[in-house]
Amino acid sequence: MASRAHVQDNSVVERRLRPVYDWLDTGNNKKALQECDKVLKKTPNLHCAKALKALALLRIGKESECTTLLNNLVAEKPSDDATLQAITLCYRELQHLDKICTLYQTAIQIDPSNEELHTHLFMSYVRISDFRMQQQSALNLYKLKPKNPYYCWAVMSVILQATRGQGKRDPQKKKVLLSLAERMMDKQKTEDKLEAEPEVQLYLIILELQEKYEEALAVLESPLGTMLTCSPPTMYKLPYLIKMKRWRGVNLFCKNILTESMDRWDVWKEYINSVFQLMSSKPHVNNHMDENIKTENSAGNGENEFYSVDDTPEKAHEFICSIVENGADNGKQRYLLRGPYLARFELCSHLIKVGTDTTDLLGETMELFIEYFHKFGHKSCCVSDLKIYLQLLDSDKRSELATRLLRDVGISATSVPKSEHQMQRHICSLQISRLCGNQRNLSSDYLQAMVTALSLHYQHGYQTYGTNLLPTDPGPSDAYAILASHVLYDLAIAQNSSQPLVCALVLLENLLRNSPSNFNAKLLCVKFYHLLGCGAGAHHWYESLDIKHLQLDSLGYIHCSQLYSRGMFTLAAGLYDTTLKFFTSNYKDSSDHLTFSYKFGSFIKLEEFMDFRERLNNSLHYVTTAVDKIILSLVQCSSIENLYSIDLVPKDNKIEWEELRDNRDVSVHLSWDPERIEGSMEDNLDMKLLVEQDMALLRLRFLLVRSFSISLDIVKSSDGVRSKHVEDLRDVLKDWKNTHSKVAEKHYKMFETICVAYPLPSHLHAYLELPFSECLIRVFDLFCAVATEVFTDDISALSKDVCTSLSRLVDNISRTIKVQNESKDCLWNAANVLEQVVNTVEVFSLTTLVCLLAHDLLKLPQGSKKSKKKVDSAFRDRLQEVAVHKKQQMQKIEESLDAWNYLGEFSDNLTDRLAALNLNVNGQDSVKEQLKSSHEIALKEIRIVLRSKVKLLSASFNS
Amino acid sequence: MTTLRPFTCNDLYKFNNVNLDPLTETYGLSFYMQYLAHWPEYFTVAESPSGEIMGYIMGKAEGHGENWHGHVTALTVSLEYRRLGLAATLMNCLEDVSEKKRAYFVDLFVRVSNKVAINMYTNLGYIVYRTVLEYYSGDPDENAYDMRKALSRDVKQKSVIPLSHPVRPEDVE
Repeated sequence: MASRAHVQDNSVVERRLRPVYDWLDTGNNKKALQECDKVLKKTPNLHCAKALKALALLRIGKESECTTLLNNLVAEKPSDDATLQAITLCYRELQHLDKICTLYQTAIQIDPSNEELHTHLFMSYVRISDFRMQQQSALNLYKLKPKNPYYCWAVMSVILQATRGQGKRDPQKKKVLLSLAERMMDKQKTEDKLEAEPEVQLYLIILELQEKYEEALAVLESPLGTMLTCSPPTMYKLPYLIKMKRWRGVNLFCKNILTESMDRWDVWKEYINSVFQLMSSKPHVNNHMDENIKTENSAGNGENEFYSVDDTPEKAHEFICSIVENGADNGKQRYLLRGPYLARFELCSHLIKVGTDTTDLLGETMELFIEYFHKFGHKSCCVSDLKIYLQLLDSDKRSELATRLLRDVGISATSVPKSEHQMQRHICSLQISRLCGNQRNLSSDYLQAMVTALSLHYQHGYQTYGTNLLPTDPGPSDAYAILASHVLYDLAIAQNSSQPLVCALVLLENLLRNSPSNFNAKLLCVKFYHLLGCGAGAHHWYESLDIKHLQLDSLGYIHCSQLYSRGMFTLAAGLYDTTLKFFTSNYKDSSDHLTFSYKFGSFIKLEEFMDFRERLNNSLHYVTTAVDKIILSLVQCSSIENLYSIDLVPKDNKIEWEELRDNRDVSVHLSWDPERIEGSMEDNLDMKLLVEQDMALLRLRFLLVRSFSISLDIVKSSDGVRSKHVEDLRDVLKDWKNTHSKVAEKHYKMFETICVAYPLPSHLHAYLELPFSECLIRVFDLFCAVATEVFTDDISALSKDVCTSLSRLVDNISRTIKVQNESKDCLWNAANVLEQVVNTVEVFSLTTLVCLLAHDLLKLPQGSKKSKKKVDSAFRDRLQEVAVHKKQQMQKIEESLDAWNYLGEFSDNLTDRLAALNLNVNGQDSVKEQLKSSHEIALKEIRIVLRSKVKLLSASFNS
Repeated sequence: MTTLRPFTCNDLYKFNNVNLDPLTETYGLSFYMQYLAHWPEYFTVAESPSGEIMGYIMGKAEGHGENWHGHVTALTVSLEYRRLGLAATLMNCLEDVSEKKRAYFVDLFVRVSNKVAINMYTNLGYIVYRTVLEYYSGDPDENAYDMRKALSRDVKQKSVIPLSHPVRPEDVE
């Protein structure tokens, strides 16, 4: 327990309670409970002991006992710090944050001059983001103890009202609030009370929000500015100058910095931009030039004496050249700095944008690349540096560049690099060549030959430079093998063939034996195994990445979202739990970070923290995992008792659909596909489409879970309320049908798989391919009818419908597996077939549960009206029919699975291919083994699910 | 070629290309948030022209009296951007802030096996102040060097007189 408070009353109490705290700290809540009871026997009215007992009860899962105890305790109006803190912890863990506020309000009434209590009250409002009450309590606190931080808390609370409270949607209100905040700070300023960095930062925040950059600059120049000791000047002054479009000021300011540190990219960019801004505004200000200079000078650009403003590309180029020359002379630099060289590209890019010919000033653009490569080609960052500027060349030039670079490196088909530097340059040129599109549209034979060459280069590099390295060291020639596996991926996609992927896996696993910490190779293994439908193989490499904490959100897409479709139910359940635990516990903690910000005066971080908190809480992956976990629990459910105990409410139903965010880090995958020249992966249109598809799937599956949850309510509810629930269910089903047809109408196209770095396509496609939703909705319709106890002829038709649609799903599976067995390349399509099987099994499991619920509904004791009995038995007969049919169909699924030949026959060709790559042909054994065992696990898990459902049906319906 | 800027929460979402490295630890969220809230000026990220994270440094200021010092909690550079002097640039940032805070010295812990890092710190003027036994848990546990560099306030360089005996982790701080 982090915030253990001292019990002020007396040391005896403290001594008695100490063991309780110790047990709680070590997580031994049972012992803590016992110890509390002991203390309470001696002192039955000790508030703190009661509060701690409540906490211990909560932590061993006795929530209702805890709440009763808490309510009684709070009614006694406790006011000592230790008790209040213990109660606070309870409320935090219960997520009753608002009750913490009331708790401290009451305590303050009893002890109005207690600074500590006021602070806690303020923080309790921070936790629930009640900015107005924050302001009020901070001001009360300031009245009580006139300390600057308290005053700032109040000001910050006003700012938040403007930016996130009432002012968020009301610009007028926002204006008023911000000007109030400014006046509050002005008052302190005139009274000379501003004395620390956070206070000045707060002042600047207010001015920035009102776009009062003039005033903000004045603050920087005033004595207050000197208090900003820890903030770099680029953090404030440069952005202000830019916002005010004071391009002369920007230009001089940047030059000043660049002369000192020539590797500052942000500053270079602003410098070049300012040159062009000055250039474009020149004709307009010609007459007022002097005036302009004067006004800018008055803002205190003392640097002007040493530097002149660069307002033409020529001057800018001269400046860049002078930096290069100085840099070359400067013996202090151990490293050649890339800044000025890249600045030239930036200059070139600006020139092209304004339509100016670049050759006069910079020569052939191509030569810039060649020169840069000469200087930095031996650094691995060279490719990333040049990547963003390849747009400056048209595709012919790009291709020419690639050819020239490869030739310059001087490695032919029959030679190997003579030094590590040459090897790195070779790697760079190959990567650039791929970026330039030179590896696209090549014949398979050519690509095969390239893979062979890359694989041999990898091995040569490893043997020459890579032995005797630590396991944590990156292998110097690993990049060859990574590149080779990318080409193999291209081949697989082009030929619709699994063999290149198996080759890639052998190659990558071989690499990972040499450099066991190469995470790029591991990421590829995870992906390739998933592509082949092998969840267990993917899991092996996923585990070795040691992904945890926030990575569960940013990287969950590579594996967590895939496991279920690969039939790895047990592994999926485990990873879902880990993921959800991360999200819930961090959301609870995230309010603490806000209180820290106030405590340490880091006001500049507050809004950022609040945004981050929302980003985390509105994560698409979070909600998807929550929904998937519930569906998986239903699929795995093996007893009716179990069904009634599943928590069917994802994320407490607090889902803000409009706010859902895709938090994937797709840039983690290295790749040199030509598409990456065009900008970041996140902004990619295909990525946006993928998110849209995932979102649509989530919506459908959420409605499925909702339907289940309401159906359970219906069974559990008494006659009076039941009809209300049935009404709800009908609404949800309607919504579901609508959503489904809307999604289906969009005919989403499958996400392009052309780039190896793209995530796997959305599961939506497989989900829409067959009538899974329709089938489920029909069963729920049937359930609704049972619940309303009205039997019509439609019902018979409906139950027949259910049977037919289930048969169709099964027929499809049998057919698909048969086709699969006859295919020459069984593995290529295996992942899709497996996903279809899993989806079908899901529908069978879920519809089984709905039938059981309907059966339970009929079992409930009801009036003994004859007509009712007749209706019931009519329903029972229909359900019986469905159940019998389902059992037969599930039997058929099992038979199809038995007949499934997953691996098929590997052509001998594979062995030849591996031999050609100079890879140990036995390497394929471990990959094949992995593929085979994964398939066996998946089928075993699927069979368990099917059998448990057959058993459930047999127990309720006698066949 | 680098943009140096304060590390923000959103960077936590894109630092995987750095953090998947075996020698870079990914901590629980609260750990990062605590640093961001308490010592935002000590948490700097280096960003590449294409917007990737090249590396970052996180640190803090602590201690009383002549023990008031800057501490490097984590320093890491992505594979792609090594051997460019980036770590030195980031260390400079942290030393600058520590100077401004009138700290006496900067210290850090490093695995005794991490020769590359030790060599780099030595080049930057750090000395091995003492050895901390079994500081890094693992199989087997590994010792750490506590390395230090005096700042201008420590005129007599009192903070960098090496200890002759190793210490236990519990004796540190």
